[in-house]
Amino acid sequence: MKEKTLLGSLRVMLLSFEVQLRQNLTDGFVLFGILVQPLLVAFMALWMLKDKGPDHAIFVVIGSGLTGLWTTLLFDGGNSITGERWNGTLEPLVGSPSSMRLIVFGKVLASITQSLLSMVGCYTLISLIMGYPLTILHPGLFIGSVILTVFALVCFGLIMASLFILIRDIGRMINTLEFPVYILCGFLFPIALLPGWTTPISYLLSPYWAAQALHGATSGTISVNKILFAWAMMITFSLAYILLSEGLYRKILYRARVDASLDTQG
Amino acid sequence: MRMNVIEVNNLRRIYKSTTGVIKRTSKEIVAVDGVTFDVHEGELYGLLGPNGAGKTTTVKMLTTLLIPTAGSATIKGLDVERQADQVRSRIGFVFGGERGLYWRLSGLDNLRYFASLYYVDPDVARKRIDELLDLVGLKGREKERVEGYSRGMRQRLHIARALLHDPEVLFLDEPTIGLDPVGARELRQAVRNLQSAKKTILLTTHYMFEADALCQRIAVINHGKIIALDTPENLKRTVVDLSVVEIELFGIPPEVVEKVRGLKIVDNVAVESRDQRQVMIVHTSNGPEAIPALVAELNGLKVGRIISREPTLEDAYVRLVGGAE
Repeated sequence: MKEKTLLGSLRVMLLSFEVQLRQNLTDGFVLFGILVQPLLVAFMALWMLKDKGPDHAIFVVIGSGLTGLWTTLLFDGGNSITGERWNGTLEPLVGSPSSMRLIVFGKVLASITQSLLSMVGCYTLISLIMGYPLTILHPGLFIGSVILTVFALVCFGLIMASLFILIRDIGRMINTLEFPVYILCGFLFPIALLPGWTTPISYLLSPYWAAQALHGATSGTISVNKILFAWAMMITFSLAYILLSEGLYRKILYRARVDASLDTQG
Repeated sequence: MRMNVIEVNNLRRIYKSTTGVIKRTSKEIVAVDGVTFDVHEGELYGLLGPNGAGKTTTVKMLTTLLIPTAGSATIKGLDVERQADQVRSRIGFVFGGERGLYWRLSGLDNLRYFASLYYVDPDVARKRIDELLDLVGLKGREKERVEGYSRGMRQRLHIARALLHDPEVLFLDEPTIGLDPVGARELRQAVRNLQSAKKTILLTTHYMFEADALCQRIAVINHGKIIALDTPENLKRTVVDLSVVEIELFGIPPEVVEKVRGLKIVDNVAVESRDQRQVMIVHTSNGPEAIPALVAELNGLKVGRIISREPTLEDAYVRLVGGAE
């Protein structure tokens, strides 16, 4: 019997990352989403900015980049467990001694990283073509914000993947979940424009704090102190999501073993 | 006395299903109904039964993938429900069919990934994967994508996957299902090799000759219950009083089968389809002398070859399963 070591657990996460990446890179539909769609979105977003002038370029780039990340998280991350179930690989995964949370973490991390890298490339390319400077006000804070954004989104994805299994109706309404989060998290415009009662909802979503930190670090929409506060909120929420996922995963996996729903073919 | 590695005690599993949207009705299906058996260390134990008998459900409970409705089971003394994590490190499992692999990845990538899931050290994994590819006959094809593999190759890759962490106990659920005769024979040889390597193996199958050729003891399961449990030799002895008459026919109406079954000299009747023909297999204590009486009941149907032979394990199985139905 093999001992579960920290290094071994890290390897589980990294290989789950690698498997997800390799799978995505061999799927034409996913490749379109990673390589072509962001190019079109970046072109449209920056074209629409024409009248506002080049100073707003970075705000639009970050905002529409976040919408792309959220879409990836929703469709790819949210379906992490469901996809394995349809593929028939959920049983061998659950039947292994590895933690399902580690596996999902690695998979969502792969999807987010891949999406992020593709968007950085696309927006840089289109901005250069259209002659918009992409000036970052606080480069150090920006790098920190990007790392924490990836971490926060992956932790959020961990919860989403389990909720999609636990409450199957959420999975069925996946398309309707795309736009409310763009709006509630202030990806493309400040949430101050929304009715006051929506603000507490925004505060509970870690992508909101990610948008705050990224916009602040690039465009100076908020002060440095507020950027650091957004970082603290992302860390707090991420840790809360990780703690919450412990119980959630135990519950969904136990229930799936009771309901015989680990595989789609009894 | 050999130690029991698998202990199953009164295991029961009920599936619940609901139908309807407004007026919901729920239905319960008893898939496994109080099954009890033990498997000794190093034994190759067979669970034999027709489709839907409860074999896969039993294996899924023992491999921690299903929670039993009642009863208990332990693997090396560890409870499959309460100590699932510890059980998982000690067992390997293969389910029949082609699912359960990443088709867009190579066979090698699949094995590397599953080795990591079992916390196998990368250096050990590399060596082990190499040995296993040899064992299952996939050496040289490991870098190809699984989607290009034949059904038999995928099935053999499943076996390699289950052995990556060198488990003490193996569950093989209909591993030869859907394989061509050559593929099935190679896989059976691989199972024999595993047994020589002192693995404890629980094999489910509905192929009699497979159970006869491989297993030291066989439990016959039907409708969720074990209806016989013995060595293949002893199971065959249960039909030693019978002989078997096989009559080849070309189209046999069900009422004729029933008429034959109703004869006093007939113990059991089964009909097997073979290409365009059917073979009526009749168990009788009268031996070849029963043939004229049987032919008389066929009412002028076109009859092919008629043979009389000694009973096999398959005949014992037909008697057991037929009797339980």
